[in-house]
Amino acid sequence: MDERIQDIYLSNKSAKDQWMNFLKKRGIGNFAENETKFIEQTIGIFADDGSLIATGSLANNVIKYVAVCDLGAQSKGARFNKIISELESRLALLDRFHYFVFTKPEYQLSFEYVGFRTLAATEFGVILEKGTPNITEYLAKIPRFDNGKVASIVMNANPFTNGHRYLVEKAAKENEHVYVFVVSQDSSLFKTSERFELVKKGTADLKNVTVVSGGDYMVSFVSFPSYFIKNADEIIKYQTMLDARIFKTQIIQPLRITSRYLGSEPLSHTTNLYNDALTQELSDKIDVVIVDRLQIDKEVVSATKVRRAIAENKINQCLEYIPKTTATYILENLEELQLRIKKGQKIDGN
Amino acid sequence: MKDQKERLRRTMMFVPGNNPAMVKDAGIFGADSIMFDLEDAVSMSEKDAARYLIYEALKTIDYGNSELVVRINGLDTPYYKSDIKAMVKAGVDVIRLPKVESAAMMEELEKLVAQAEEEFGIEVGTTNLMAAIESAKGVINAYEIAISSKRMIGIALSAEDYTTDMKTHRYPDGQELLYARNVILHAARAAGIAAFDTVFTNMDDEEGFYRETELIHQLGFDGKSLVNPRQVEMVNKVYEPTKKEILNAQGVIAAIAEAKRKGSGVISMNGQMVDRPVVLRAERVMRLATAANLVDEEGNYIEK
Amino acid sequence: MEIKKTAIAGTLESSDVQIMLSAGTNGFEFELESDVAKQFGDQIKETISNVLGMYDIKDAKIKVVDKGALDLVIKARAIAAVQRALDIVDAPKWEVL
Repeated sequence: MDERIQDIYLSNKSAKDQWMNFLKKRGIGNFAENETKFIEQTIGIFADDGSLIATGSLANNVIKYVAVCDLGAQSKGARFNKIISELESRLALLDRFHYFVFTKPEYQLSFEYVGFRTLAATEFGVILEKGTPNITEYLAKIPRFDNGKVASIVMNANPFTNGHRYLVEKAAKENEHVYVFVVSQDSSLFKTSERFELVKKGTADLKNVTVVSGGDYMVSFVSFPSYFIKNADEIIKYQTMLDARIFKTQIIQPLRITSRYLGSEPLSHTTNLYNDALTQELSDKIDVVIVDRLQIDKEVVSATKVRRAIAENKINQCLEYIPKTTATYILENLEELQLRIKKGQKIDGN
Repeated sequence: MKDQKERLRRTMMFVPGNNPAMVKDAGIFGADSIMFDLEDAVSMSEKDAARYLIYEALKTIDYGNSELVVRINGLDTPYYKSDIKAMVKAGVDVIRLPKVESAAMMEELEKLVAQAEEEFGIEVGTTNLMAAIESAKGVINAYEIAISSKRMIGIALSAEDYTTDMKTHRYPDGQELLYARNVILHAARAAGIAAFDTVFTNMDDEEGFYRETELIHQLGFDGKSLVNPRQVEMVNKVYEPTKKEILNAQGVIAAIAEAKRKGSGVISMNGQMVDRPVVLRAERVMRLATAANLVDEEGNYIEK
Repeated sequence: MEIKKTAIAGTLESSDVQIMLSAGTNGFEFELESDVAKQFGDQIKETISNVLGMYDIKDAKIKVVDKGALDLVIKARAIAAVQRALDIVDAPKWEVL
């Protein structure tokens, strides 16, 4: 018999309860708001008696909350394949042809069996991707350097400050080449395209620096779905470790990277954990260089302070924190930036 | 196409049009007709994909003696015309149009089918048609639908939409379908085409399935639409002729042969004239008996 | 013909094949995932290549996940994928069928 896919509307309380209970029974019990609020579509397969026997959801380009009961199925995995297929068709209808799965290690093979490729794995969870453009196609577009020491820096640069510049300059001095990966995720005050341009302009004089978009592979690790992990301490461990391992297994070797530069972060606990994870994961392959943050008049230069100055309309107080290129851009677009803040754009994150 | 009209149609098995595993295996269950569904079983985003899958299947797979039917999408959909073209080009035996309410709808279909036949160099008139009746209006117009085209081989009741249209739903005893079944059956008989009963979807209710199949067999339906291959054997069992029917039919057949031998235009048996309906019934009983393996190659009854 | 947009057709269900087509610059670039890749990989690629050829497509990235599909299924899915990628779903090339 042909088991049919049905939509599940989580806005309907009884439907949501049934969905949550089914997932809980299958070991998925984290329904925190940051995990569920981006869900756009949820589908399911129901048995004749109305009970849920398989489900999966979409959130942007991520497939999540997949759970399947094989009891009474035509063959093991048939329902899983059907759910994933349907989610992929729906992604295609939304013109999304490149997507990710974050899941428990025990499901890694099931996803690989339907064409997903593992990007990185940890004991808590794995990340897989499918579609196009994938990691190979992403890397193919980045210029390569065949000799010398190749440093790497990953930054959000919201916006690009003299602190960032200091880190890049140091790496540029100590290496033949430097890749600066700009996190490409539109959740900051400065849009991805703006951040990217400001980094480019702010480093244009450094001839051995190549600025590239982080694509889908260098994102803010806190955005990694962790709905299948219950313990909060494990979540941060999993997120930082996974981020480090994507870099380690996918990026380092093809680009011949020999070191990664990090800014120290004495004040942020999360970033400290992240730096620790990177050091721990990458040290056996490349040098991890932690650089003390640039201070001006005993004040740490930070992009957060620049954003606050924009919000408070006190740009003059932060001019020494930012290169001229960034200052010019801010002054030219001050109204727009302030409008974004007024409209609710948070400025205290990163 | 006399033989098309007279063939056995006890079972018309539905096969979802976008499911390769089921499309591939559809021939192994011995259904008299296989109906590939491009309509309800296929989601909107997969209409094109299902169309090409069925096209390739019809072109490639040997489904033996089964009559091949495709349920296309309704004429109010954007898929209608491409479905017709693809299925005509593939050489399907029968196109089944859903939600038919008038002869005009069949006439429009016939026109497009004829155009497609011409376009693809197929003899005009090759593709047969049938209509699914799914509304009160369709039932009321059943006869004009049944006689709407020379290509018509049958009409079918589709009870799910029909009961919704009638502000009811399906009940185990089938009282709500009594009128529709009888009207459709009469229209089909008057038009000389086949009458198909609706599907029975509760796979767990075997007793209910037999009850319903026995009822429509008793009424005189040619057969039933099915959603599960398991039901093929069950319907065939209900449609098996009795030993008495077979022996009687053999008598009629012998009388025909005798009349032919004598060069007489009048067939007589037991001193009575045998008229055409009796002959047709006898022929049908023998086809059923052969299909059920109740007679040997020479037409002799096989004692169980 | 140039591929206009990335498209996918087919499913991951048993006896089916899922084909994703996107624009390429370097001939046909296949990525194939199949249990039977060793025995039938070349045949699968050939069937898809033939369909692409019928539409006069020279360059494409083709990602295939095969679940034991018959040749006719591969052909049907390739046709669906191509028509979607060329944005001609509503005006199919009948002569190709």
